[in-house]
This record gives sequence, C-alpha cells and structure tokens, in this order.
Amino acid sequence: MAKLNFFGYLADIVGSRAKEMSLEKPVALREILPSPFPEKNIIVLINQKAGSLDSLIRDEDSVVLMPVLSGG
Amino acid sequence: MKGYAEKLLRANLSNSKVSKEEISESMKRDFLGGRGFAVKILWDEVKRVDPLSEKNKIIFSTGPLSGQLLPSSGKMVIASKSPLTGGYGDGNIGTMASVHLKKAGYDVVVVEGKSEKPCYLLIEDENVKIVDASDLWGKNTFEAQDILEKRHGRNSGILLIGPAGENLTRISTVMSQKGRAGGRPGMGAVMGSKKLKALVVKGTGNISNFDDNKLKELGKKGYEEIKGKESYDFWMRQGTMQAFDWCNENACLPTHNFKEGVFEFSKEMDGYMLEKLHMGRKGCPMCSMQCGHIIKDSSGQGAELDYENVGMLGPNIGLGNLPQVALLNRLADEWGLDTISLGSCIGFLMEASEKGLIKEKVRWGDIETAQKLVTEIGKGEGLGKLVSQGVKAASEILGKGSQKWAMQVKGLEISAYNCHACPGMALSFGTSPIGASHKDAWIISWEIANDRFSYDKSKVEKLIEFQRLRGGFFESATVCRLPWVEVSFGLDRYPEYLEAITGSRMSWQDLFEMGDRIYALIRAYWKREVPQFGRKWDYPPDRWFEEPHSGGKMKGVRVDREKYEQMLTWYYELRGWDQNGIPLKETLDRFGLKDVSKEIIEQVG
Repeated sequence: MAKLNFFGYLADIVGSRAKEMSLEKPVALREILPSPFPEKNIIVLINQKAGSLDSLIRDEDSVVLMPVLSGG
Repeated sequence: MKGYAEKLLRANLSNSKVSKEEISESMKRDFLGGRGFAVKILWDEVKRVDPLSEKNKIIFSTGPLSGQLLPSSGKMVIASKSPLTGGYGDGNIGTMASVHLKKAGYDVVVVEGKSEKPCYLLIEDENVKIVDASDLWGKNTFEAQDILEKRHGRNSGILLIGPAGENLTRISTVMSQKGRAGGRPGMGAVMGSKKLKALVVKGTGNISNFDDNKLKELGKKGYEEIKGKESYDFWMRQGTMQAFDWCNENACLPTHNFKEGVFEFSKEMDGYMLEKLHMGRKGCPMCSMQCGHIIKDSSGQGAELDYENVGMLGPNIGLGNLPQVALLNRLADEWGLDTISLGSCIGFLMEASEKGLIKEKVRWGDIETAQKLVTEIGKGEGLGKLVSQGVKAASEILGKGSQKWAMQVKGLEISAYNCHACPGMALSFGTSPIGASHKDAWIISWEIANDRFSYDKSKVEKLIEFQRLRGGFFESATVCRLPWVEVSFGLDRYPEYLEAITGSRMSWQDLFEMGDRIYALIRAYWKREVPQFGRKWDYPPDRWFEEPHSGGKMKGVRVDREKYEQMLTWYYELRGWDQNGIPLKETLDRFGLKDVSKEIIEQVG
C-alpha cells in the first residue's frame, strides 16, 4: 500500500490528512491526487526524499505533501 | 521622496529636551526606513557605549509602507545597541503606534539619555511631552496598557515594557496591545535602563503619498487577493501553528533544549488541537490574516498562542499541554519577556538539572517550576537569575561544557527550529545580523523541497536572496512578510506599493542592493562595537555539530562542521566580506559607505 500524508491546506483540498492506496503499477503522483492540485509552493517528499508531482509512486512508497511555510 | 513624514523626533530624557530634525533624501534613498534608518542612526550616534548606560539610544522606526492602507502594514522596528548581544539589535512589532506615528508627523523617534524617575513619552501630533510614570512602574504590560488606554484613548498607539524590562532582564522585550511583541535582543531592558515605561502615540494628520488613489486601489486589490487564496481559510484556522506538525514531521521541532527534532506529545498541541480549543483571534493593525490565536489557558484566562512560543515553551521544555503552554506565554507577555529566549532559558536550566550541574530540581515538563521560573527570570532572582541575562551568559557562569548546549548565536537564543538536519537553516541562524533569529531568512522549506542534506553553493545563494527580501526589504519597508509565503501573496505588489507611495520606481534589484548596504553596515557596526567580533560569531552551537539526533526519522543526523565552514566561506565571498566576516573596503565603498570603510579599515588594519 502506498501511504500519502497531507499537511496544511493541502489536507483540506484532499479532504483527509492521510490516505492509503493499493497501486498495481507505478503511477505519476499527480494522477492519484484530486485535480486541480496546487503546483506551486508545495513540498513533495517520497520516502523522505524531494520529489515532484510527476514522480512515479510505487505501492510501497510513503509520500508527504506539504505547503511551503515561512516560519512563525 | 513622498510617503514619509520627513521628520525624526528626538527626546532626551536626561535634560527633557525634545527636538525635531529633517530626514534627508539620501537617508530615504539609501536606507528606505525601519531597520535601514535604525542602523544608520546607531552607526552615526551610538559608538562603543554600555548598552544599558544613558549614552545608548533606542530607535522606533517606520518605513514608507508602515501603517498604510495595505495588507499587514501595521509594523515598525525597535532597535538599539543590544544589552543581550553587545552588537546591533532590533525587532519588528505590530502596533497601532506604527499607524499613529506617521500621522503625528514623524517617521522615527530616537530616545536618548536617562530619566531620573519613571516616565513615558506622549506624542500627540506636534505636542510631545515627557510624562511622569511613577504610577505605572512595576505594573505588568496588560495592566499598564489598560491604564494608558483609559487615559489616552483605546485606539492610541502604545509601546511599553513590563517589570522584566524595568529590572534590566536582558531577554526582555517591548510589548503592544497585550500580545504583540518585538525587540528580542533586550530592547525592553534598554527602555528600562532609561526609566522609559512607554511611548504613547496619537496622530491625526494624513500621510502625504505620491498617488493616494492608486494606493487605495492597490490596497483594496491586495486585501481581495489575499482573501481569495486557496490557503487562506486554513491559515485563518491555524495561522503559524500549522508549522507545529509540519516541523514535527520534518524533525525540526525544538525538543528538550534542541536535543531532538520530534516530540512524543505533538498531537496534543498541534494546530488541530488549537482549532479545538480556539476562542478568538488577535493581530496587528491593517492585517487581514491575523496570526494570534486565543485559547483558555490552564488558569482559565484567555491567552494568545503562535508557533514560536508554543515550540519554545512546549516541546523545548518537555511540556505537552497546550493550555499550560498558553499560561506560560501569557505570563511572559505580562512580564515583558521574550517567549523564545524564555523557552530556551528554561530548557537550559532543565538540562543543567538533568545533568546534575545545578542543585535545584527542574524536571522536563514541570509546569509549576516553569511558572515559578518566569517570575524569577523577570525579577532576576533565585535560580532565574542565572539565565536572566540569556543562555550565553548563563553558560559562561556555569561552565562544565554547558556552552555546547547553550542554544544561541551571538548571544541571542535560537528560535523554534532545530537544525541538526537543516544545514542551510543552521547557516541562516549563524549569519542572522541580530543573532539567532529566523526573521531574516527561513530556508527550511526550500532546502527540504530540494535537498535538505546538501551543502551546495546554491543553498547559500538562496539564503542570501531570502535575507535580502526578509531582512533587507520587509524589515525596512516595514511590512509583515507572512502574506508573501504563507498565502503566496505576490512579491511584485511591493514595488507597485512603493511607487504609489514614494513616486519612485524601485526594482527588486534596487531593493536587494539596499538590503546588502544595510547588512554591510550592520556587520561594520558589530565589528566596531565588539572588537573581537569575527567568523566564530557565525557558528551555531556545538550541539548541532557534535550530538546527532538519538531518535526519529533523522536519527544519527547532525550538521557537518567542515561543510558548514565551506558554506560560510561561500557566504562571505558572495557578500563581499573577508573570511572573518568583515565587509571589504570595496564592498563598503560600492554602497557609498566610505566613512564606514575608513573607520573599519583603521580598526581591522
């Protein structure tokens, strides 16, 4: 199962802070996100490494999507 | 140049003289306002003095954007030679004083000398009085705010200190409107040393802008743009507190005096918990995205929270209960203590106790002891006396290796971001011109979005870009930086605002150059005031280099010292400073600071 965690307003867009999904084959991240999804000022981490909405997600991957912040 | 009141107000508390001076065109052109004005005045007028002597001066400075009908513009800068660090110190604060000062006819107030008895400065347009404040001395900032509002009107601009500033506690700050704070590097103590309890400002005039109609149109559009942003609703619910679970996820939450980056009780005090406990919201004038969230504290009173104070008075001292954190925060605001430094000081004592370096028992997460310490630190008594001058001074007294985990740079306590796994942010804290503040450059998002473990030159270049924007432009304009990143408000708006206000078109390149001039002058100021100042002043504490995280996703990670040195070397090269961090003659000359370069070259040799 691929695990997706959403932070900040991105969780509002998705309607959930966490999702799990079974992927039979690798798929671009944007294809498993609601459309439209913010393209700018977001951080994509795949297994703790920087990625993008075009990164391929595999069934065992852990994905984190969070907004860019500027510090309190 | 339009958009300025064109006047500097000077009040000397030693001889009760008040005077008004013109602000020159070159001052406006080269230094813009806010921080830029402040460092220029300090360079010219405050030379090698004891920060708590009557020879020091405190500067309250606005910029062309301050207090205008523009998004989040109700800001001003308070600056002085810092009693906490010994170098340049400043902070911005959201306050009605920002709105009133220019309406009263002044861009800047310089307070010098020392009053024999407690006083406050009352500015009502051209009428300026030094008023007896004996009845206010000893009152906390909430009580004194109430009295001054009753006396001078609820809408007055009031800047004031609490008992901590009166007691010359060097981590004391300046407060306004029962919750707004500014001037982390001991600006409260500077006011206290002058027996200056408050500034009260009431202005009834109008600011003379270049094109008021255009400005009105731009301001309206700006507010509409912010409200229409996709992230706006979430921001209004959580504000800066959305950073709490964000930082915990990224292992940069300050935990147990910055030993760790994740906190076991994070879910009990994150932004979602704040939403559940939420009672109301407070913020600065002119702001449509107010960031202060009020909850009921553990004593039943309303208290305001934001990320910095929750990070430092929560996980950093092992406290996992939001209403208890709110109680500590309210007490700190009443005393006029900086909440970031306070959290660091309490965390320092807890670690010292755990290591058996002090005889007193100060356990992690012990709210009763933490509450007692707020009072002791504010008074400079008991155990609190050890840390009331900051953790750097405390570690020098305590010794026994505590300097390695006294979490400060240049004497200013690090704000709420642990950098074991964020080397770019470690450099940001290292090179911040007032000591370890996050306000000049917050690069964590950028480095995590790209490669958090890299030490590349591109990271250093990005850091300088952030410093130019945040520490240069926003601190001098003066306007809040939060709309820009937090709701993606367009940076292009700001040169448009400046043009409508001043009549002068300034590109970002022009503004960046101005920021670089201000940074170079601040560095020169440090060197003049602290002769031994140099490269080692730009190092973060040894803890980040030598003690890897013991758990969490970033277990085993620490900052690589050699690679940090390489980044620092690049940083100096890019800034045109020597490898001791002192601006080169050609750099100062290029910025039109020939007198400064002459003095610094004579000193450095």
